[in-house]
Amino acid sequence: MPRRDDIHKILVLGSGPIVIGQACEFDYSGTQACRALVGEGYEVVLVNSNPATIMTDPETATRTYVEPITADSVERVIAREHPDALLPNMGGQTALNCAVELDRRGVLKRHGIEVIGCDIPSIRIGEDRELFARAMRDIGLSVAEARIARSLEEAREAATRIGLPVVVRPSFTLGGAGGGMAHTVDELERIASQGLELSPVGEVLIEQSLEGWKEIEMEVMRDAAGNGIVVCSIENLDPMGVHTGDSITVAPCQTLSDVELQRLRDYSLAVLDRVGVACGGSNVQFAVNPASGEVVVIEMNPRVSRSSALASKATGFPIAKEAALLAVGYTLDEIANDITRATPACFEPSIDYVVVKVPRFAFEKFKGTSETLTTRMKSVGEAMAIGRTFEEALQKAIRSLEDGHAGLVEPEAVRASDEQLGKLIARPSSHRIFQVAEALRRAWPVGRVHQLTGIDPWFLYRMRDIIIAEKTIAASGLEGLDAPHLLAAKQMGFSDMRLAELCGQREDVVRAIRKVLGVHPVVKTVDTCAGEFAARTSYHYLTYESGNASEHESASRPRVLILSAGPNRIGQGIEFDYCCVHAAYALHDEGFETVMLNCNPETVSTDYDTSDRLYFEPLTFEDVMSVVEIERPVGVIVTLGGQTPINIARRLKEEGVPIMGTQPEAIDLAEDRERFSRLLDELAIPYPASCVAQTPEEAVRAARTIGYPLLVRPSYVLGGRGMGIVYTDGELTSYMEQASHVTPDHPVYLDAFLEDAVELDVDALCDGKDVYVGAILEHIEECGIHSGDSACCFPSFSLSERIVANVRETTRRLALACGIRGLLNVQYAVKDEQVYVIELNPRASRTVPFDSKASGVPLAKFAARIMAGRTIGEFDLPPEDRPFGYFAVKEAVMPWARFPGTDTRLGPEMKSTGEVMGLDKTFPLAYAKTREAIEYRIPMEGTVFVSVNDRDKRSIAPVALALSGMGYDIVATTGTARVLRAAGIPCTQINMVSEPHPNIVDAIEQGRIAFMINTPGGHRSRGDGFRIRSMAVSHGIDLVTAMSGATALIQAIAALRKGSLEPYALQDLR
Amino acid sequence: MNLLVSEGRSPALLALEDGTTFAGWSAGAAGETFGEVVFNTSMTGYQEILSDPSYAGQIVTLTYPQVGNYGICEDDFQAPRLHLCGLVVRDMCHTPSNWRSVASLPELLRSREVVAIEGVDTRALTLRIRGGGAMRAAISTTDLDPKSLVARVRRSSGISDRNHVAHVSCGIARTERVDGAVKKRVVAYDCGMKKGILDGLTSLGCEVRVVPWNTPAREVLALDPDGVFFSNGPGDPSQVWATVEAAREILGEKPVFGICLGSQIVTLAARGRIEKLPYGHHGGNEPVMNLFTGRVEITSQNHNFGTVFQSLGPLVPEESGGLSAHEKELRAWSRRGVAPVVRNPLWGRIQLTHVNLNDGTPEGMRFLDIPAFCCQYHPEARPGPSDASYFFDSFLRLMEGRNDFLAPDANDGRSAYAQAR
Repeated sequence: MPRRDDIHKILVLGSGPIVIGQACEFDYSGTQACRALVGEGYEVVLVNSNPATIMTDPETATRTYVEPITADSVERVIAREHPDALLPNMGGQTALNCAVELDRRGVLKRHGIEVIGCDIPSIRIGEDRELFARAMRDIGLSVAEARIARSLEEAREAATRIGLPVVVRPSFTLGGAGGGMAHTVDELERIASQGLELSPVGEVLIEQSLEGWKEIEMEVMRDAAGNGIVVCSIENLDPMGVHTGDSITVAPCQTLSDVELQRLRDYSLAVLDRVGVACGGSNVQFAVNPASGEVVVIEMNPRVSRSSALASKATGFPIAKEAALLAVGYTLDEIANDITRATPACFEPSIDYVVVKVPRFAFEKFKGTSETLTTRMKSVGEAMAIGRTFEEALQKAIRSLEDGHAGLVEPEAVRASDEQLGKLIARPSSHRIFQVAEALRRAWPVGRVHQLTGIDPWFLYRMRDIIIAEKTIAASGLEGLDAPHLLAAKQMGFSDMRLAELCGQREDVVRAIRKVLGVHPVVKTVDTCAGEFAARTSYHYLTYESGNASEHESASRPRVLILSAGPNRIGQGIEFDYCCVHAAYALHDEGFETVMLNCNPETVSTDYDTSDRLYFEPLTFEDVMSVVEIERPVGVIVTLGGQTPINIARRLKEEGVPIMGTQPEAIDLAEDRERFSRLLDELAIPYPASCVAQTPEEAVRAARTIGYPLLVRPSYVLGGRGMGIVYTDGELTSYMEQASHVTPDHPVYLDAFLEDAVELDVDALCDGKDVYVGAILEHIEECGIHSGDSACCFPSFSLSERIVANVRETTRRLALACGIRGLLNVQYAVKDEQVYVIELNPRASRTVPFDSKASGVPLAKFAARIMAGRTIGEFDLPPEDRPFGYFAVKEAVMPWARFPGTDTRLGPEMKSTGEVMGLDKTFPLAYAKTREAIEYRIPMEGTVFVSVNDRDKRSIAPVALALSGMGYDIVATTGTARVLRAAGIPCTQINMVSEPHPNIVDAIEQGRIAFMINTPGGHRSRGDGFRIRSMAVSHGIDLVTAMSGATALIQAIAALRKGSLEPYALQDLR
Repeated sequence: MNLLVSEGRSPALLALEDGTTFAGWSAGAAGETFGEVVFNTSMTGYQEILSDPSYAGQIVTLTYPQVGNYGICEDDFQAPRLHLCGLVVRDMCHTPSNWRSVASLPELLRSREVVAIEGVDTRALTLRIRGGGAMRAAISTTDLDPKSLVARVRRSSGISDRNHVAHVSCGIARTERVDGAVKKRVVAYDCGMKKGILDGLTSLGCEVRVVPWNTPAREVLALDPDGVFFSNGPGDPSQVWATVEAAREILGEKPVFGICLGSQIVTLAARGRIEKLPYGHHGGNEPVMNLFTGRVEITSQNHNFGTVFQSLGPLVPEESGGLSAHEKELRAWSRRGVAPVVRNPLWGRIQLTHVNLNDGTPEGMRFLDIPAFCCQYHPEARPGPSDASYFFDSFLRLMEGRNDFLAPDANDGRSAYAQAR
C-alpha cells in the first residue's frame, strides 16, 4: 500500500522531560519520525515540553509546540492546529497515556482525529495487564500467574493464592515505577501501597515470581499488510527480577538454540497480531526457564521503546523511522533498507558482532536509598559497545561508562572477604558485574557463581575467560607479550590502561609497545546484513583482527571529529548530545566530512545519518586516539560534549591532535581556580572570596578568613558532584574527609556562599575578537541551589538594565581574556546590585539548547562554525538587547519517586534528570506551564501546609497573605504559625511529624493537604522536614522547598485564575 | 577461544583460490579439507547448518562470530552424518550452556572428523567471497605454508565436478511411519533430505517412503503414491540427471512438490535453465514476496544454484497482467502485484509464485495444467523463521486434488507443522 493521501497534518507527541525510564531514546525516535513524515510531505505538529531535544528544533517539525504533554494542553494545540491524525507511539508511555486520555475525553472524536501507528484498544491491551493476560491465553501462550489488586487487602489475598515471592506491578506507570519484588508480607504491603498510590488507575498486579529465569526481548515490526519481522533479539545478562533498563543486556541473544529462538519469534508475531498492533514497532518480553525451556510472556509495549532504540543502534535498522512510514500507509517491502539501498526494509537484520549495553547509575547522589536493583528502573543512562566477541564488547562497555573502571575490576570487591563476596553477588546491584569477576578471580567454580547469581553459565564462562587472560597477562608481564598475544588481549577488549594495571606499567608504555608490535585496531561496519551486501553508510566500530582487514575509506573532504558526551548521567545528558548534533549539521554545511564519536545508544548523535561517519566507541583517551589515527581529522571538537572530552583534551593536544576551537590551555585557565582568580583580579571583576584546601586543617584555617557559610566542592567535576554548603567547622571537616574519595588528585575549593543572591547563567559565543551574549538566564531559586536544578527564566524578569549591561560587558571581557573560540558559560551571583563571577565554563553548557529555543539563535551551530574559522560578524545575528514579547521558563525535573529514602531538598549538588520549558506572555504563565508539564497538580483551592526555616520566617508573611487572599486555608507548624498570626493571617496550627497525633502525617494521609511550602533548616538533613518531604513525594503532593519558588508558584496560581494558557508554536516567535 | 585462555592449540590455515589466506587455530578434527567456501548469515542454528546434507562439498563460514554457545542438542540434527567439508568461525565456544546441550561443538567436530578453523576474520572473508564469488578453498592443520596450500587449492576439483547427491542420499529405501492415521502416502526422493522436511510431511499425516536419488520413476509409480517429493541436496543439479529423468516421468502422473535442489530438478524436468548465483543464498533472513498473498515471508535459504524463470517459456499475456515480454528483473512482478504465467512446451502453463526481494531471483513456482509446485527455499526452516511452513499444508491440499492449494488462507496463522515445533 502506498503513502496515504487522505491525511495531511499529523500530530506527533514527544515524551516530555528526561526522567528515569524515559530518556533521550524518545528524542531519537521522535526526531526520526518527524523527519520521515516531513520528508513524505506531511505537515507535522509536534508537542513536547522538553527543550533539550533535537525534535523540538524548529526545523524538525512543521509546527513545534514546546508545551505540556497533558490532555488539557494537547487539546489546546489540537483546537489551534486541527490535525487529521495522531501518532502516539513515538513518545513513550507519556504519549500513549495522553492519547488514551484524549480518547476518553472524546477530544479525538470531536475533532475527527484518527490515531495512526497503533490504536487505543491495542494500547489498552498492551498496558492493562489483566486484558493482556487474557489475550495471551487466547493464543495459547503462558503468562505468569497474576491477580489484579485494587486495595492492600486484595493484594494480600492475591499473594496468598499465588505464594511468595511475588512481583508487584502497578498499571500504567513509567519504567515499572512503583513496582518491586516482595519476598515477605511486610515487603508486599510496603510495595503494594506505594504502587496503588502511583498507578493513575489505582491498580497493581500481583504476579508469580520468575526470579532466575532468562529474560529475552524481541524487537518486532509489523505493517498493515501483516508482514512481521524481528529486528533484533536481546538477552539480559541479569536474569528476571532486574528491570531490563537496569540489566546488562546483550544482542543478539546468546544462549538460546535456533529452535528456542524461532519459537520466541513465532510467539512475538502472534502477540502483535492478537494485541492488534496494526503497524509499527513493538517490544515483546519473555521469560525462559533455563532448566526446561518453558516460556512465559512478560509484557509487550505497542510503541518504540528504549529497547527499540538499542536494537536500532545494535543493528543499523532505523525502527522509529520505519514505524513512522508504516503509520502513513507504506508496507515494509515498499521501504528501502537505508544501509544497503539495494534491498528492502522487509527483512531481519543479521549482525556479525556482539553488542553489550551497560546501565549507568547515580546512587552516589541519592544517599539513603537502597542500591539493590529490582523490577523498578533506577539507572539514569547507558553505554553500548560493539565487539566481535561478548568479552570484547563487555570490556568496552564497562570502560564506556566513564566511572573509573578500566576493566572488570573494582577495589571494593577485591577487598571483600569470601563471605562478604558471596552475599554481595547474590544481590543484584550496579557493582555486581565486578563482584562476579572477583569471585571468578578467586577461582570460584562457575556452577557456584551461577547458583548465587542466576546468571547463565555461558556469560560466566566468558567472564572467566577474561579472568584467565588477565592472569596470563599478569604472569607474562608486558615484556612477555609478543604481537599475537597482545593482539589476543586487545581482541578480548582489554584497554591499554587495564593492561598497564595488570603488568604494573603506565598506559603510555603499553601504547608505545603496542605500536611497536603493530597491534592496532581495524574498522568494521554495521551494515544490517553481516556483509552480504555492500553498505552505503559509514556506521563503524573498531576491533582487532589478525590480518588487519579494515573497511576504512579515504576522505574526499577534510574531516572533523566531534567528541560527544558518552552515557547520560545526572549533570551531563541530552543537552550535550544536542550541541554535538548541531555541530555535525553545521560543519557538514561548511564543507567538512563530520565524524561523530559516542557510545550512547539513546541519542540522536549516534544515528548513522546525523553525521557523515559514525564511530560507536568509548570516549577514553585510547579509543579517541584510535579513531584520530584512522581518520586523521583536521580538527577535533572537545567543547560541546560536556566534561567528557574536556577531561582528555590536554592529553590529545600533547599527542599532537589538532583541537578545534577553545584550546586546552584556555580550558585549564578557566578550570584552575587559582589562575582564574588571578585573571579576575587583573580584570578587576568581583568574585566571592575563595581559596583552595587539600586537608581538613587547611580548610578550617581558610574558613576563618572567608567566614561561613561556605560553598565547598572538588575541582574538575560536572553537575556539582560532591558539592555542599557548610555552616560549621565540624561540617567542613567531615566534608573534607569524604571529599578525598571523589577525586584524590584534585584539591577542594572553598567559596564564600552568597546567601539569597540571585544567580544568573550566561551563554555566549566568542571568536577571539567579538563576543555575542546569546542568553542571560535568571534563576528562580537563589544561589546555593545547583543551576541544573534551579528553574530559570529568559529573558530576565527582575534585573535592572544596568545589571544586564554589566553582565554582558563582563562576559565579553572574560571570553576575550580566556581565549575562547566557540561557546562559554558564565555563572554570576547578583547581590546588593553587585555582580560576582561564580565560575566560567569554557565549553557548551547544559542551558545551550534551552537558550536556542527561547531566543531563536542556534548557539551550538554558530559555535561549531566559529571553530571552523568563521567570525561572529559573518552570522548576521539579532541584537543582544532586542525585546521579546514572551518569557520562557526552564524547570528541572527531579527523580525523587525513584529513590525512596533520600532527602528531596535542593542543594548545590545537581540531582535532576531533565527539564521542561514553558513559554507564555508573562513569567507567571510560563512558570505555570512548566508545572503542568511536570504534571505537578497545581491545586486551585484547598489547604496549604506551611513550615519554613528561621531565615525564611520574615518573608513568609507576604506569601501566606496572598494564599489566604486567594481563598486557601493555611495550616502551619508552631514557629511558622506564630509568625503568621503576628502578621494577622488566619491559620491553623498543626503538629509536626515528631509531635503527638493528630499531626501533619495524618493530614497528609487523609488527603487534606493540597500543597506544601517547606524550606529546609540550614544544615540538618534528617529531621521532621525530611520526613515531610518524603511524604509529599510518595503522595504526589506539590512541594516547594525554597521561598523564591513559593513566590513564583503563587504568581502562577494568580495568573492561572485570571485566564487559561495559550499554546505557542516556536515557528511563530521568529 | 582466545589465545590467552588456551595455549598450545594446533595452528590451522585457510586458503582460497584467489590467493588469500587466513591463519587461525584448529577448532575441530586435525587434517585437511578441500571444498567450495560459502558464508551463512544465520546468527543461530549452527548445528542444523552443519548437519544439512546440502553443504556437502562446501566449507561453511559462519558470519556470526561466536559459535557453539548452546552446544549440541540431540534433537536438532538434520541428518545422522555431517556432510560439509569444513567450518570457519571467528571464535569457537568450548564451554557451552543450554539445558538440552549434550556436548560442545568442537567435541562434535572432532568426533565426526570435521576439519574446522577458528580465529579467522570471518567478516573479511565474507567480504572477499561477496566480491569474488564462492571459491575453491582448503583448511589444513598439516600444511601451514600459504603458498603451498593455495597452489593445492588451485589444483583441487570444483563443486560441479562431482555428484555430491550420490554421496549423501540414502543407500536403500525406507518408510517413515506416522503416529496417527495415514492421510497420504508420499514418495520422497532423498537427494540429501533434511530431517525438518521429513518432520514437516509426517507431522501432517503423510507416510513417507524415502527412496535413493536415482530410483527409476517406474518403481515409484508402481507404489502408486498420492504424491512425490523431490528434496533439497548439495551441489550442481546438472549432476543429478537420473533424478531429473525420473521427475520428467512422474510430472503429470502424480502430484509433485520440490524444495531447493528439488525445485531445480523440477525446472530441469521442464527443460528450464539453471544458473549459478555469484555467492548463493545462505541464511535465515531472506525476504520473499508471496505473489498470491502480497505478503513477505522471511525465509531460510541455502542454495548456490537457481532457476532462470524466463527460460521456462514465453509469457502468457492474458495471465500476466497483459505483458508479453519477460521482465529482466522479477521484482517488477512483485511491485506490480502480478504472478506471471509462462507457457512451457512440456507441461503447459507455469506460474511464478514467489520472488526474492533482495535480488529478484525466483523462489517459487506452480504448474497450472498439472499438479506440481516447488519452492527454492526452506519452508521447514531449521534453522530460521517458520513463515513459509504452510508449504507442507499446500502439498497436502495438492494431493487432495484442491486447485486452491496455494490460496492465501494456506498461510494464515501458523501451520500444524509450526505448531508441532
